[in-house]
Amino acid sequence: MAGSPMLKLLVSLPLDLLRGLYRFVHRLSTNKPGFVGFLGLLLYFFVTFIMPDFVEFDNEPKLDQIAGPIGSRIQLAVHRDNPQWDSLEALAGKTVGVVDQTGGPSFIEPWRDTLAIEKYRWTSRRQGPGIPAALTDLANKEIDGLLIFSKTVNQVIVEQEDAELRQLFQDNVIISNSTLGPPHLLGTDTQGRDIASHMVHGGQILILTALIGGVIATMIALFFGSLSALAGGFIDKFFTALANLFLAIPQFILLVVLAGIIRFDSTLYLGVIIGLLIWPALLRAIRAQVLSLRERDFVEAARSLGLSMNHIIFREILPNMSSYVLINLIFSITIAMYFQIGLVVLGLAPISDYTWGVMIYFGRSRGTLYNPDGASMALSPVLAIALFQVCLVLFARAVEEVFDPRLRSAG
Amino acid sequence: MSAMSPETILRVDELSIVYRTDRGDVRATNDISFDLKRGEAMALIGESGSGKTTISLALIRKLPKNAVVTSGQILYQHDSNVQDVLGLSRRQLRSFRWNDCAMVFQGAQNAFNPVLKIRKQFEDTARAHGWADKTAIRKRALSLLELVRLDPERVYDSFPHELSGGMKQRTLLALGVLLSPQVVILDEPTTALDILTQRAIIDVLNDMQRKLQFSIIFISHDLSLAAEMADTVATVYAGEIVEIGGVDEIFYRSLHPYTYGLLTSVPTLEHAQDVLQSIPGSPPNLIAPPSGCKFHPRCSFASDQCQVDSPPLQLDIGSHLAACWHKDRLLASRKEDA
Amino acid sequence: MLHDQQPLATDQQPPAPNLSLMTARLYDPLLKVYRNYTARVFLQAIITIWVVMTLTFVLVRLMPGNPVDVLVEQILTAEGISYQEAYDRIAASFNIDKDATPLDQYLQWLGDLLRLDLGTSITSPGTKVIDEIARFLPWTVFAVGTGLLISFVLGIFAGMPMAYYRGSKLDHILSFFSSFSTGVPNYIWGLLIIIGPGISWRWFDIGALRGTYDVGLTPGVNAEFILSALEHAALPVFTYIIAILGTWMLSMKSSTTGVLNEDYVNVAEARGLKERTVISSYVGRNAALPLFTQLTISIGFVLSSGVVVEEIFVYWGIGHLLFQSITVRDYTTLQGVVLLLTAVIVFSNLFADLTYGLLDPRVRVSGEK
Repeated sequence: MAGSPMLKLLVSLPLDLLRGLYRFVHRLSTNKPGFVGFLGLLLYFFVTFIMPDFVEFDNEPKLDQIAGPIGSRIQLAVHRDNPQWDSLEALAGKTVGVVDQTGGPSFIEPWRDTLAIEKYRWTSRRQGPGIPAALTDLANKEIDGLLIFSKTVNQVIVEQEDAELRQLFQDNVIISNSTLGPPHLLGTDTQGRDIASHMVHGGQILILTALIGGVIATMIALFFGSLSALAGGFIDKFFTALANLFLAIPQFILLVVLAGIIRFDSTLYLGVIIGLLIWPALLRAIRAQVLSLRERDFVEAARSLGLSMNHIIFREILPNMSSYVLINLIFSITIAMYFQIGLVVLGLAPISDYTWGVMIYFGRSRGTLYNPDGASMALSPVLAIALFQVCLVLFARAVEEVFDPRLRSAG
Repeated sequence: MSAMSPETILRVDELSIVYRTDRGDVRATNDISFDLKRGEAMALIGESGSGKTTISLALIRKLPKNAVVTSGQILYQHDSNVQDVLGLSRRQLRSFRWNDCAMVFQGAQNAFNPVLKIRKQFEDTARAHGWADKTAIRKRALSLLELVRLDPERVYDSFPHELSGGMKQRTLLALGVLLSPQVVILDEPTTALDILTQRAIIDVLNDMQRKLQFSIIFISHDLSLAAEMADTVATVYAGEIVEIGGVDEIFYRSLHPYTYGLLTSVPTLEHAQDVLQSIPGSPPNLIAPPSGCKFHPRCSFASDQCQVDSPPLQLDIGSHLAACWHKDRLLASRKEDA
Repeated sequence: MLHDQQPLATDQQPPAPNLSLMTARLYDPLLKVYRNYTARVFLQAIITIWVVMTLTFVLVRLMPGNPVDVLVEQILTAEGISYQEAYDRIAASFNIDKDATPLDQYLQWLGDLLRLDLGTSITSPGTKVIDEIARFLPWTVFAVGTGLLISFVLGIFAGMPMAYYRGSKLDHILSFFSSFSTGVPNYIWGLLIIIGPGISWRWFDIGALRGTYDVGLTPGVNAEFILSALEHAALPVFTYIIAILGTWMLSMKSSTTGVLNEDYVNVAEARGLKERTVISSYVGRNAALPLFTQLTISIGFVLSSGVVVEEIFVYWGIGHLLFQSITVRDYTTLQGVVLLLTAVIVFSNLFADLTYGLLDPRVRVSGEK
């Protein structure tokens, strides 16, 4: 007997959810920017939660201190006379030049024993001869091969202003890179690792952390905010005062100080801390919303009908707040995102996980940020974070506009 | 229509207004015509949604953005100079508003800018119409505030929130006549006020009109107010004037079942009625109005003719016009009741 | 502000030798202070600061490793003196009585604070924390303040047309921009500015813009120094503007949309007021009112989030000091910075509360009640 309604529920609930989801998306599609934001978020979900299963995290340092530009591949240049040297194996025992950004002790770890390595300063077109110097040596057979991180080697040769040098390169140098892998979509980082693979793997934890922070903050705010508004009196005064007190403390600074005291062993723990920090503004917003709902006619009607407080809260007030809560949740996710990445960029959060934030941190500390050809290491996560936040905001704003009747334009 | 007599100050001529909405065009007013004479007080009565407010907003061209005037004219005669209000340029319109035709809106609670003193708002209004002498404005404003029975000095230097609802309403009346307009439109001037304040406002209005000699159009569903103040009463139903005439003609010899229905739905002190009747049904859908006489679905006198033909607004006696095929039956039935 | 309280003359009853009346009389002035709006807000501010102070004190004591011990260790190994000697020296420079209980320390610290004495830096002994803060805070206040004000004004002027022309192309474009502005964190804007115009397009030399003014200039009122300071502040300020502008635009838009539906705007138009008057005195003024409260609330957020922006541009403001004191574990400085920032936030809120009445007459009255 009891099984049959249960069964009905089991069948109808997913159907209802699906129908609700369909209606939600359908209504959302009337708002173009919001729909774009929604699709963007789906794309982010796909890239950060599904693609990591199919894309391997490139954790193998190939070259130290060379960041490759977008679309770069490791290119092996050899002399025209020796086209058979088309891989590092083939060059065993020979001298290989490496174009290096810092001029410091750079090496190709696995090849250390088999290759003699000659280093050249990394250079961009604006900074003067670096690659040309290496190419000249190669053309003169002072070195046997040259490893270059760039999609621009051919360009460097073609655009060489010194006609004599240009001729020299064109006559002597060929690119033989058949064994050195496909081009890197987003370039490579300071260790020659593929940035695109880091991008795929670096978002999941950030998004989860932000989600945890946002959900915790929203739940605290929702629970105590409604309690405050519904109970009134001392409870209301207490929570309002508490929220105001917390608002007076610069929250991000508090987080920075906490980061100095507590070792955040995991980013998820960081999410919890952030959630515990950012609820006050949210609480005030939700309290105000519940207060205004409480005065609305339908709640008054429910109360005069003698319906219980539980009924009023769960049947009358909360359903009417769902879109409002969703909006607040999304905005607190953006704030949580802001906090955690800010902390990572400052270097105060754990860097055990290689997230977008950590990429920015290393991009800054290792100087690729200041190198136009290597900027991708910082630029890719910067853009990913920026667009993620924008998608969230567009989505939240669309929910606000489509589902909040007060904001719907009256023509 | 005939040429305007010098006595006529405002003539509305076959005015039709449509609201464009997502669900279709709402025909808010349909071929409305009437004349307003100098010093006359005309009441527009009808249920909410009948188009009364649309008419009054059209007079000062303050219709919502989605409203379109599809036909008609609003002629305003001043110093034997006739202008079509609908054809005024922006600049002319700005000067026409308040200087020639002021509108006292429904619910004066929020009619004043909360951050400016009443004084500033009087001065703003005067200055916008080229009157910059602050002492003169003050003198005029104080005398008007006195006329509406307020403590002039105190009110003039108050912020709006320091005044009660009735005080604001009266202050708005004073502001309305600041520039001696020829026409004052009052939209539900007494709704949302308590009964004593209503009384005071009516007295003030009568008093002011006698002293300042302007014409009044007021919109109300309060028939007692209409009976007390109006010279002429027009009944508006579904965007059309279905009956118009002198106040006595309308109240004691109404020729349209709708007007009659409105009258019998309010208790009056003069005629204690045993049974208060309400008009059955609800106002028609103006996107797809009924055929023929728009009132026929709710009318107890309705015949087959009413469903097909729309009755014209016909002259009865004197200046009393009504649009009904069955005036005689209505009159007869009333005699029986009596 | 205490002079604002009501004179006691209102109390006309003759004093009676009754104990309950005595206590009542004792509490009376306190009650009056509490009832006085200005005094009450002031009191709340002080209490807030006190709570935060205490919280900071506790937090510092919760830190792993006693800062004194850390320093003692350092001196021990560096100078080869006895533990007691080292401890005494550190404790002295710390202004801590080594035998004092935590409560005594707390009271001592409170007393020092009342005399605006924030102690001396741990890592560079002899440097007063207050001097350090005085050296760095003005730059932050300058940059954040300028950014906030400019974005506020721009936001008000951009938000109004958005509300006036709702649904138009202009509205869509500005809304889209504001989504970018609000969504993208300010330090991400900063990084984008560095990578794009700074490094790739070489519009300016990022390296030369480190710090708050050019090296070698002496601070003072001279054109060279001021120009240099402005130049160095330009990028952080621009970042703040672009990151906050969207919030103001949207707030102003929604506020204006609300005001446009108000009767008084409709009436003002019917009164034949000049369009300019309606837009400025009727719509603009009322729509901007709620934004002033928001302005002060955002001061806290922007001040604290400025830490990352300052770090990215290597702009030596309070964020730089804070970051430094955390990395070298200079707890006294840390304590002082948090306290000072809280004070700035609390007092700017207080300032807003007190001046809001000047803008909105409705509050003026209810506030005095």
